[in-house]
Amino acid sequence: MAEVRLVDIEKKYGSFLAVPQQSLTIEDGEFLVLLGPSGCGKTTTMRMIAGLEDITAGDIQIAGERVNDKPPKDRDIAMVFQNYGLYPHMTVRQNIEYPLKLRKVNKAERARRVQDTADKVELGTLLDRRPSELSGGQRQRVALARAIVRTPKIFLMDEPLSNLDAKLRVTMRAELKHLHHELGVTTVYVTHDQMEAMTLADRVAVMREGRIVQLDTPKRIYSDPADLFVAGFIGSPSMNLIDGAVQDGRFIAEGMDLPVSLPDRDEVVFGIRPEDLELADGDTPIKGRLYALELTGESTLVTMRAGKTSVCARGHADFEAPINAPCHLAPKTGARFYLFDRATGQRLDG
Amino acid sequence: MNKYIAYWGERALLVLISVVVLFPIGWMFLTAFKKPRDAYSLSLNFEPTVQNFVTVFSDPWNLGSMVLNSVIVAGATVAIAVPCASLAAYSFSRFRVRGRKFLFFLILSTQFIPAVVILLPFFLMFRSLGLLDTRVALIIVNLAIVTPFVIWMIKGFIDAIPTDSEEAAMIDGASRLRVIKDIVLPMAAPGILTSSIFCFILTWNEFMFALILSRRDAVTLPVGLVSFRTERGDLWELMSAAGVMITVPIFIMALLIQKHFTRGMTAGAVK
Repeated sequence: MAEVRLVDIEKKYGSFLAVPQQSLTIEDGEFLVLLGPSGCGKTTTMRMIAGLEDITAGDIQIAGERVNDKPPKDRDIAMVFQNYGLYPHMTVRQNIEYPLKLRKVNKAERARRVQDTADKVELGTLLDRRPSELSGGQRQRVALARAIVRTPKIFLMDEPLSNLDAKLRVTMRAELKHLHHELGVTTVYVTHDQMEAMTLADRVAVMREGRIVQLDTPKRIYSDPADLFVAGFIGSPSMNLIDGAVQDGRFIAEGMDLPVSLPDRDEVVFGIRPEDLELADGDTPIKGRLYALELTGESTLVTMRAGKTSVCARGHADFEAPINAPCHLAPKTGARFYLFDRATGQRLDG
Repeated sequence: MNKYIAYWGERALLVLISVVVLFPIGWMFLTAFKKPRDAYSLSLNFEPTVQNFVTVFSDPWNLGSMVLNSVIVAGATVAIAVPCASLAAYSFSRFRVRGRKFLFFLILSTQFIPAVVILLPFFLMFRSLGLLDTRVALIIVNLAIVTPFVIWMIKGFIDAIPTDSEEAAMIDGASRLRVIKDIVLPMAAPGILTSSIFCFILTWNEFMFALILSRRDAVTLPVGLVSFRTERGDLWELMSAAGVMITVPIFIMALLIQKHFTRGMTAGAVK
């Protein structure tokens, strides 16, 4: 277990700046998720911690020790790769055993720990198979077992669930969460899936173009996004972002007219989450025609259009209406909404 | 009807090509078992004998020493070239060093030079080193010929191995050399085996350098064949028997690794 400090780190590939200078501290025992779209520098950041990429500038400290010049093998980390990175010519047992073998753990101890770990991830009966004979989920668990068979200072996980089907992903997510609770090892987890980030993380670092744009708890990232990018990235379905202008204390867009506390200005983006909107009757601030209905099981997603404005609301599962029927939406009592500058993406309210 | 013609046409063509390719080899095998008086006849009706094989291994032909030379030269070339080439191929495949592409091109470009052009420099070099007519000279020359080729082939195989497993091993605690030993070599083994066989065949069949650089002690099998052209004329039955001795090991190897062989050819071709 250890604290990880990235101090003014920077990564350049030739003249291309992949990760601009920034700092980040991951607390001892914390589960930190690096979240962002592909190519945002999250994997590069993780690989720098692992020692698989050199850093161009700055310092990386693990448990207070500067590790810039240490090769990966001496950093005492374990990593789970997106494509598992298993050793195809070895059996499951040999795969899991390999890190112990390299550390010269004696044979009896090795056998015991491999069996314990395999049982923990429910691979106990598959130890003599080769990776090619396993399903995706089983391979994933081999990769996980190989990481947890010894107790490293840090776990690094690079989109470990992205190759699994939706159902398995949910199961494995819970297993990861439980495992972290059980082992308490500092974990850095890279993903582009905001749902994974929200459910797993103690803190989420949302990244864009190499930069961390917001570092906070999942709750605050969701309820208090730092800018337009974070607001649009977090949440499923994502936040409604409507282009318009503020005039005389009201936000005006096609089909919308809402009171806001902001001085007059053009080029404003109004954001409100679908779960903060409700279907209403009569004179509501958001009016249009019904565009689509999507039943998700526990609710119905209602999409309404008025000219260029498109707004999605989460309605009751029983809601039914013909397409193109007039549709009225209103913010729920106590609903939060957000105002952003369209050009810079900066928050304008609060 | 058209389909019928295409079907039989295709087969006829394949048979024709096979006959053209296999005829000389078949003829050689038959002649190897013929008595001198039957050697020139095309008849299949002859009394087979193994006397030719006994003759080529005894004085004055002494094929045994040539077999030994060929085995030592080809074996040593493979034993040196393949490990060196594997390490070079790994480096070319994995390390992003400045000038890497140019260096790789440079190594490959040695293959573009016609052998006759470098024949004389090699001859003069070995003469001044006192290495003419030695196996060492032949091994050095063959290494120069096959190593670039083997580097290129093995690099193709290593390129196809995903780096994930290597990185995983490094994080698990392995040094770079340990990664090569534990992960890369086992995964590239079929490719390395194929390359070794190619390397062996190239060296085994090498004729021109062996002809010029050897005289008596270091003569290899292909060069030995020439000695059957005597003042009494060409001794076809003995030449054929020696030819069989040269081709049989290659045939056996090709059969054993047929599957890898074709895969190796295509892998090397596209990478």
